[in-house]
Amino acid sequence: MFKKYIKMIKYILILILPILIYANECLSCHKNYNANKHFSNHYSMKNAINITRSTWGIKDSNVTLQTLPKAKKNIHSKEDLVDDFLRRKCLSCHLQSKTVNPTNNSCLACHNTHKNNLDSKKATPTMNKCIKCHKNEYIGGEYMGLFPHDYDKSYRSPITPKGYYPNKSAGIDYHHLANDVHYEKGMSCISCHNGMNFEKKVDCKSCHKNPSKKNHKDFHSNLSCNVCHSSWNISSYELNVLRDDTPNYKQWKRLTVQEDIYLENFLTKALKLQKKGILVDPKMPDYITNILEDGLWYSGWRYRRWENNFLVYDQNNKVKIAKPMFQYRISYKDKAGVVILDDIHKNKDGSKIEAFIPKAPHTITKKAKSCEMCHENKIMLDNTLIDKNIVKGKVIKGRLFLKEELDKLQSKKYKLERAKTLF
Amino acid sequence: MKIILLTITLIYTIYANDIDKCITCHANTTPIDNFHPYEEFGCASCHGGDKNSLDKQIAHKNMILNPARLENATKSCGKCHKEIINRVSKSIMNNMHGVLDVLRYQFKETKTIEHTKGIEDLKNILTKDQSLADSHFSKLCAACHINQKEEIFKEFGYTSRGGGCVDCHRVNEDKTNTAKDIDILKKFKHPQMSTKIPSKNCLKCHNRSNRIGLSYEGKFESEGYGTPYKKGELTHKLDKSRSYYDLPADIHHQSNKMSCIDCHTEKGVMGDGKSHAHMEDSVDISCVDCHDAKFDKLENQPLASMLIAINNLMPYPSEVAISKRKKSPIYNLQKNDNNITFYRKSDAKALDMTQMSDAPYHTNKDHQRLDCTACHSAWIPSCYGCHEVYFKNGKQYDWIKHKKTKGKWKELRSYLRYESPALAIGYNEKIMPTAPGCQVIMRIYDKNITNEGFHSMAYAAWDPHTTQKQSRTCVDCHFNSTTLGMGSGILDIQKDNNITFMPYYNSKNSGMPFSYPIDSLVSKDGEQFQTFSRTKARGFNKKEVNKIVSAYKCIICHNKWDDKIYNDFTKSKKLFFEKKTSCSKNILK
Repeated sequence: MFKKYIKMIKYILILILPILIYANECLSCHKNYNANKHFSNHYSMKNAINITRSTWGIKDSNVTLQTLPKAKKNIHSKEDLVDDFLRRKCLSCHLQSKTVNPTNNSCLACHNTHKNNLDSKKATPTMNKCIKCHKNEYIGGEYMGLFPHDYDKSYRSPITPKGYYPNKSAGIDYHHLANDVHYEKGMSCISCHNGMNFEKKVDCKSCHKNPSKKNHKDFHSNLSCNVCHSSWNISSYELNVLRDDTPNYKQWKRLTVQEDIYLENFLTKALKLQKKGILVDPKMPDYITNILEDGLWYSGWRYRRWENNFLVYDQNNKVKIAKPMFQYRISYKDKAGVVILDDIHKNKDGSKIEAFIPKAPHTITKKAKSCEMCHENKIMLDNTLIDKNIVKGKVIKGRLFLKEELDKLQSKKYKLERAKTLF
Repeated sequence: MKIILLTITLIYTIYANDIDKCITCHANTTPIDNFHPYEEFGCASCHGGDKNSLDKQIAHKNMILNPARLENATKSCGKCHKEIINRVSKSIMNNMHGVLDVLRYQFKETKTIEHTKGIEDLKNILTKDQSLADSHFSKLCAACHINQKEEIFKEFGYTSRGGGCVDCHRVNEDKTNTAKDIDILKKFKHPQMSTKIPSKNCLKCHNRSNRIGLSYEGKFESEGYGTPYKKGELTHKLDKSRSYYDLPADIHHQSNKMSCIDCHTEKGVMGDGKSHAHMEDSVDISCVDCHDAKFDKLENQPLASMLIAINNLMPYPSEVAISKRKKSPIYNLQKNDNNITFYRKSDAKALDMTQMSDAPYHTNKDHQRLDCTACHSAWIPSCYGCHEVYFKNGKQYDWIKHKKTKGKWKELRSYLRYESPALAIGYNEKIMPTAPGCQVIMRIYDKNITNEGFHSMAYAAWDPHTTQKQSRTCVDCHFNSTTLGMGSGILDIQKDNNITFMPYYNSKNSGMPFSYPIDSLVSKDGEQFQTFSRTKARGFNKKEVNKIVSAYKCIICHNKWDDKIYNDFTKSKKLFFEKKTSCSKNILK
């Protein structure tokens, strides 16, 4: 009995101490610090949360990490399931999540400690802190040329010269593709995204003030710089998610790598125990409360590609590169093994839950890409596209090219201008 | 025709005189096929034993469970089909030289592709004396073998093979019979045999490596996600470890549900009596055999008459098509007067046969080196990076010795793609689709990792069997870095014809032991980064790359095949530079 109390007190101390020590420590000097001003979106996660909720069918969603409803227990539709999905899958990335920040001090999710010396440069966020969250589909990793491997066991390659599998510190291992030119020059994330307004979008023109008139023609004035000045782009097609409350681990034997270190360790252990005849309950944490809840969230893609670039218009009628994201296919199997949601990929009105979102790929190149990368773009133009599954879905915060805008890509005027550059 | 009927009757009479007592006990056995009735052939003519005895011990002495295994077949099937058994024994599906010879070359054990040891020789080599290639073959490749022990496979599917003639000719899907299964009290299902071989029999083996069997049916071996999930389970599984997703199937499959044997002839499949080093030497047919067919009178082709008789569903025409490579009859492509008809072998359904047009896109002089597959293939499965790991002290099942022996292999990959087939000069010196085959990156463990690792990066050209009626677009070849063999990246061309290319893949940072991108067969200057296992095959050289890409300058506007500038392209270009064409005045200053 007494031992139990000691254990509890220890646990509480471990939880609270760092908050007392670090938070106080930071705030004792940084008195004017204002959480909302400093990192409104990083703190509230409102963009990520509300986009996900609205793609899953919740209208006019306007909640934050702090006001996110508790996960529902009785699930009848994908709308009932979304908060559980957010809490236990997406929100493994937030400032106080254990996977991102084991310290319990929100500041240290991004900043490094600078203890007693007043060299504040030491506290500057480093890239390895940023890419804990800003990786894979989410811009960040690609700045350093990182493209995630596939999940199946056979992709743990190459074997390093010392004989080990590649490092999976971020839950997955990577191909290295072409770096961003700024990264090549030694710049880090905060070189551009700096100061108190670091969450605001960075305009290339704030540094590159006078692009030469010769190469930047008027007819391209409504293009984002990165449309021409980026190379590859992570395109992720169809994210299949399954919450399974039954201990059905066997089918995931080759797919234990799920970009989630907790889940990977859990599955590896559960599969080992299953061989010995022990069946463990499927449980994984709510990444906000850190309490283990029933069921595991598995995921898998149709596929991810780096070759495809696809253009859309954003809300300001500027042309941007789109990323296929949030193309959900949702399944849920309850504890009794009843399949409540079976591969739901359509909304109630019959439209597909698939979406593209205008983004700024951080694979910037000095030299612009060739005209053909857009004007002869297979995904946008070619009716003979091999995989008909790459369809042009709904665009979040933007719109698709209209027919006449697509025709413009192949217009006589373009062809003449292009030919002039070649002869 | 009469001769054939006479021969069959003669065989029947020889065997009919002999009374076979096996069926006294084994009365409940299902028939084999229409051509081998028990009443005429009995059982012992294939299975041996003493057919005159009713005593089980005596009757079953020296019996053969599976007379169709090749070592038994000379005494059983070979009594009548001797010539075929001889051919099959030398064929590439039996001696496995196609795999073995290339493997040894790729593992740098031979300097050229040459016949050394075949699968039979490997049986006598002790495990400790095996070379790396031999070990790899025994542990990973040899499961696919026409004469594999069929009883080790529990279920029919992508992973069950062997049994000699029955590997292909057995058409029922029941589990392989063992001696225990043959209970005289129960109805016994004898393997059913047919010459109308369903494609699924071919797919037992042809679903791996270049995966033509899968591609033909529109299945692309996927990254292994098993998506979409249905009923809470993974779907689209090929077998325990692999999955697929659906892409456009080959037009021959999609429109007409043609099976493999509708095109592939018996000579191409069962061999021509020679021991070949490569599949392409063994294969009989090519696209033009049907689509630009040459015919011969039926009376000159006794084999065709016989095959039509065995098929038993097709009419006898006045002329049949002849294959161009091995001059063997394609008996299901028939001509009467001027009507050409193609018959499906399984049910003799008559299909329309389109002959190749002589439109400019086919007669274009600059395209004479193109194989049909270069333009008409929709996609090719490309598996990049074959990371081989060999554990010297591990143990793994040996598919030749049929037991666990020392040495264990594991294969890992970099990534899979299906996009735009890359092109290269193929084995026949024609331009063909190409994909990695194989990019070996080897690591060897003793107790710890050793320094013995090596890499041997190769591409291979083949017909991906994803034929489409519509060809690729001009731009898809003339201005596409993947097609040109450079890999994914940004291709551009300058005024002075200088080609620039910025590749995406960074092999060195990705931990590879080489610096060129893993998907680059050649550089923009035609430097050959990766090799082929065929002497004549190679990626495009600098001159070819320049020629292909510079044609794009015209293709920007003239992107239709029937554009008149292609009637005489050299002349058109000359006129353009002399400013004698309508567009040149606007473009040239």
